[in-house]
Amino acid sequence: MRRISREPSVVITLVILVGLMLAFIIYPQVQVVLVPGLGGYVEFLAGQTWVKPFFNSLQVMLLSTTTAVILGFIYAYAMVYSKMPFKPFFRVIGVLPLLSPPFVVAASYILLFGPRGMISYYVFGQSPNILGLGGLWGVQTIAFFPFAYQLIADVLARSDARMEQAARNLGAGPWQVFRTITLPMARPGLLAAILTTAIYIVEDFGNPALIAGQFTVLPTQAYGLISGFGDVTGAAVVSTILLLLALALYIAKTRIEGQRSYVTISGRAGTIPRPPVPMIVNVFCFVACSFLAILILMVYGVLLISAIVEVFPVKWTLTFKHFEFLTSNITPLQNTLVYGTTAAIICALFAMLLGFLVQRREWRGKRIVDFIAIMPAAIPGIFFGIGYATAFNQRWLDWIDRGALITISMIFWNIPVGYQAALAGLQQIDRSLDDAATSLGAGSLRAFRDILFPLLDSALLTGFVTAFVRAVTTLSVVIFLFTPSTTVATIKIFQLVNDFMWGGATAFTVSVVGVAVLVLVIVWAISGRRVGLQRTG
Amino acid sequence: MVIMDKLQTSPLRLENVTKRFGAVTAVERVSLEIPRGAFTTLLGPSGCGKTTLLRIIAGFYEPDEGHIYLDDKPIDAVPTHLRGTAMVFQDYALWPHMTVYDNIAYGLRMNKTPQNEIDARVHETMQLVEMPADFLKRRPTELSGGQQQRVALARALIVRPRVLLLDEPLSNLDAKVRQRLRLEIRSLQRRIGITTIYVTHDQEEALSMSDVVVVMNQGRVVQVGKPEEIYRQPGNAFVAEFMGVSNVLRGKVTQDGETVDAGGIAIPHRGAPGSAVTVVFKADEAEPLADGARANDAVVVDGDVIEAFFFGAMYRHFVNVSGNTILVDRPTRIEAQRVRLAIPRDKILVFAET
Repeated sequence: MRRISREPSVVITLVILVGLMLAFIIYPQVQVVLVPGLGGYVEFLAGQTWVKPFFNSLQVMLLSTTTAVILGFIYAYAMVYSKMPFKPFFRVIGVLPLLSPPFVVAASYILLFGPRGMISYYVFGQSPNILGLGGLWGVQTIAFFPFAYQLIADVLARSDARMEQAARNLGAGPWQVFRTITLPMARPGLLAAILTTAIYIVEDFGNPALIAGQFTVLPTQAYGLISGFGDVTGAAVVSTILLLLALALYIAKTRIEGQRSYVTISGRAGTIPRPPVPMIVNVFCFVACSFLAILILMVYGVLLISAIVEVFPVKWTLTFKHFEFLTSNITPLQNTLVYGTTAAIICALFAMLLGFLVQRREWRGKRIVDFIAIMPAAIPGIFFGIGYATAFNQRWLDWIDRGALITISMIFWNIPVGYQAALAGLQQIDRSLDDAATSLGAGSLRAFRDILFPLLDSALLTGFVTAFVRAVTTLSVVIFLFTPSTTVATIKIFQLVNDFMWGGATAFTVSVVGVAVLVLVIVWAISGRRVGLQRTG
Repeated sequence: MVIMDKLQTSPLRLENVTKRFGAVTAVERVSLEIPRGAFTTLLGPSGCGKTTLLRIIAGFYEPDEGHIYLDDKPIDAVPTHLRGTAMVFQDYALWPHMTVYDNIAYGLRMNKTPQNEIDARVHETMQLVEMPADFLKRRPTELSGGQQQRVALARALIVRPRVLLLDEPLSNLDAKVRQRLRLEIRSLQRRIGITTIYVTHDQEEALSMSDVVVVMNQGRVVQVGKPEEIYRQPGNAFVAEFMGVSNVLRGKVTQDGETVDAGGIAIPHRGAPGSAVTVVFKADEAEPLADGARANDAVVVDGDVIEAFFFGAMYRHFVNVSGNTILVDRPTRIEAQRVRLAIPRDKILVFAET
């Protein structure tokens, strides 16, 4: 492996990259942990106000993860293994929820099943109190099963069809093949997918904030402590507890992934097709996926309809007044677009350069930096946000523009995504290609620019798209960082929903999703459809 | 450690170069003088360290111990891209997003050569590697393996490197293309006179192309010499066994110190009584004796022909001699089931076991 010590330009580049990471990943997180001080920790922990939210978090994590994963598995199995019709349609539906802030599911749920919900009140005449664990469970299941589906579909798609064919060849029936070959071989990947889904659920802030009512979980407690009491210390302690929980899941996940995984390294598993799936399974898959697709369409359909009618669900006259409201309050949407695009571009480039230096060169401290690059994936959004709020609200850093700060938080929160896309892309490119450039006189950075960068275009685009979507749909990272002029769309939506201004909220939601879809489509078109969404975590 | 005699300053010198990867020592205390303008081949089985050594010379690896000198100046501290050691890779490593022209011109662009000079030299080098000029606008993916390798060669030659490094460049090609390219590379090298280091595990290549062969095994240099020397006068059991198709027998010197008993076969040889030896002779050195014929200065044995395979230019026989399976290569097939073989004494090499 090539040492960088003989190339000063590379060393300087590395120092800058690492310095930025220390400033914008390590420093804010350390702030959160240090803010309470030992006395603060002892005092708060002794007060035991955190105990109930902690167990609530655990409870909802177990419940929601289980159901989300089951539904996600069914959808993934149906897409990868079964021969049901209309797969492209189901694929698009499955991606849609990833393009919107997860908490809009809660909003939709309230519109449908809430005290004045379309179905609960106007169809059934009921005025249920949906706030609490039940509602949260249902909402998170629907909100996160598409994430579970993407992760699991990835694992299933990489399984080797030849293994299954070999089993069929020796007389195993379809159920036996599934039970003894497919599932066991996919197990490490499935467990990793389950843990990643659990991390998403446990750090979810928007859904519990809207729908959990008195059922406080750790993220909402942290938020409540700051926004209600100005108790930064308490919020920091709670966030640290949440971080430890997320870290435990994350470490479990990486250890499982480190185990031998029996999937093929390359994307394809040879040209042998998979053994056929029994017709009844195909039918079941189609029915299940249709049901799930209808659920998703209902969630977004409700939001769309609410945005274009006077008052959902009472007055059904079509109107554009909510969008007019939007255009007169266009700043959050503009901010989202500007911050999101800037952050995504910088993140993708930064991560690519870092990935190059880690994957292709040898230097001291490489493994630590590699860890730091992945670390934000384990950090709950709200912890990240509190870190930035406490770290950069101090007097001597006051001059940093708040909009820039939001953008920076989005960049560094998404580094793992771009970084992993870069590493995956680099692995596909044989080392001899950049070694050849070096042997002909190109220094490391020149070789990166001339040879690797052009060949990494699909990895770059994947990183960009994923970072953009995540930046644009996050609430928890930015909830503590905004000012009136630097509000982003997700915060605006959250505020509007809290004020029951459904028209405005749904108009904004529709716009955000629309923008995300637009960007995705544009990038798809440019890249000739070689781009996917990077699996996070 | 073997150092060649030198009549003039060698451009490339390695002293005690050692490289470890964790617990594995890939290259151990290698000292070599690479003669100027010669075609030197690093030959050995996979894992012997030849590719690692080449990459150390190129600067892709740093040695843990030892030094490298180019024109008597140490280049240990010189970064890879400034060493002037252009490399041709096994998988060609042509850049798919650039045309053939841009691939070849790349090194000159790094050197900030003016554009018109680049143009002239690109065309000149294409001729040198016998490629038609209209290939220049194509992309590497549109070329065959042999054509790609020529372009890779052109790309390296055009920068006039001080040392040309080739890392098993022909392994990925069909046999016929390989044979033709071998000749071309060799005659090209002779014409230009460039110091070349070639890595291969293929003996035919090493023997037919080189001025000097460096045989390596397990990270060490085992023998250095001209191809004929390596083949006919191997310095130890490993080289003897590695080159050509060989029969290897373990044996002991008998009590009288005058004979070696190798698996039941007696070979006249003086040595310390009871000491262990390795006996090596090539498969094509054993001759069947007609009934009643005599052989002078030969070891004569009887055996049963177990099996024979046709290889085109010769037949390979598996013969059981005193419980040992001996390979015998002959142009015509041995028809008899029982055969008497004569192996000239001077073709049987006996090495003391170390």
